[in-house]
Amino acid sequence: MDVFLPIAEVSVNIVAIFSLSAVVGILSGLFGVGGGFLMTPFLIFLGVPPTYAVANEANNILATSVSGSTTHYLKDTLDYKMGLMIVIGGAIGTLIGIWTFTYFKGIGKIDIVISLAYMYILAIIGTAMLVEGLGEIDKARKKIITKKKLHVHYWIHGLPLRMRFQKSKLYESAFTPIIIGLFVGFIAAIMGIGGAFILVPAMIYIIGMPTRLIPGTSLFVTIFVSVIVTFLHAFNYGSIDLILVFMLVTGSIIGVQVGQKLGESVDSTGLKTLLALLLLIVGIAIAYDTFFAEHTTQEIAKIDTNDLNKLSMFIKKLSVEVPTLYGLFSIVFAVSLGVAAAFIRRFFSNLRKKYFKKAA
Amino acid sequence: MPEIIKNLPNEIKKNKLKTGIFIGLSAYWGLILIGTFLSVR
Repeated sequence: MDVFLPIAEVSVNIVAIFSLSAVVGILSGLFGVGGGFLMTPFLIFLGVPPTYAVANEANNILATSVSGSTTHYLKDTLDYKMGLMIVIGGAIGTLIGIWTFTYFKGIGKIDIVISLAYMYILAIIGTAMLVEGLGEIDKARKKIITKKKLHVHYWIHGLPLRMRFQKSKLYESAFTPIIIGLFVGFIAAIMGIGGAFILVPAMIYIIGMPTRLIPGTSLFVTIFVSVIVTFLHAFNYGSIDLILVFMLVTGSIIGVQVGQKLGESVDSTGLKTLLALLLLIVGIAIAYDTFFAEHTTQEIAKIDTNDLNKLSMFIKKLSVEVPTLYGLFSIVFAVSLGVAAAFIRRFFSNLRKKYFKKAA
Repeated sequence: MPEIIKNLPNEIKKNKLKTGIFIGLSAYWGLILIGTFLSVR
């Protein structure tokens, strides 16, 4: 069941895109990772050109992070002050990332840069997760309990502009979150990912935030970073395809909710090792595709605008004629879907509580 | 140092899984590093 994407100008299988985004959503909900680093390579394998895969996955991340962040806002597990500091760095990093993206696109090397970046990121995360997962299994078998220090002070905490973060109960330099945000924004702009896999460990080990505030704050930061990435990609390259975004968002939002529910009842230590293996396999598949597979030059079929259906024609015209409005619309579209999903989830959660209370 | 080298075969036999993972990961990283090097050249 193929559907033609008017902006990316390729046909994709709707069932494949929907099921893959749902599976990646389940993994995201289960392990608390963004999933962008898995979904973008999958989109590339399905035939979506890398430049379009990056931009549309960023828009998808916006929707899922709005959904998750609204849930955390309702639970009051968010440190806005810390989040805003990371966002400041993230905005600068994103701009630098988009400039770098433009440079490599200009010299015709962007596809290989994206592939290499993914290959290394997947290899690094896969290796780290595999070692950590096996270590945890080993410790659980030998029944070893390790004591962790409450807070470790690094040189980065002592930089100027120290301030108090009441919610996180921290007193440290504002440059700590700003520098981390800068790095995350740069990576997000080039790779079309939320950067949670960098942000979350940095929040735990470098900033030293309490664990309960980390998922909400990380999602809050991801909203701003992905808004900037989405807007700049839509405005500079007109690469946001609303039909693809809709398929991705629907699949991943459903998947995330299922994954979060599964996570409450499943021990994720063994699964973490399996996820690590999956990341390494995807990494090696990208390596094969980049280094060894024969690349055939795809001829871009010239599509006559009149051949498209009304919706595709409208999307294409809007993207070409008013890119600013189109960029803003794609952001509002993703935000609305995300907020709607969070409220639907809350509605059903309240309904279930009420039903169970009555039953009890 | 010689003690460690002497015990190495025993340690490898004891931790077959760890050795396998170490070899696998080394091969994996070797492949992608060589691939990158060749494609850059």
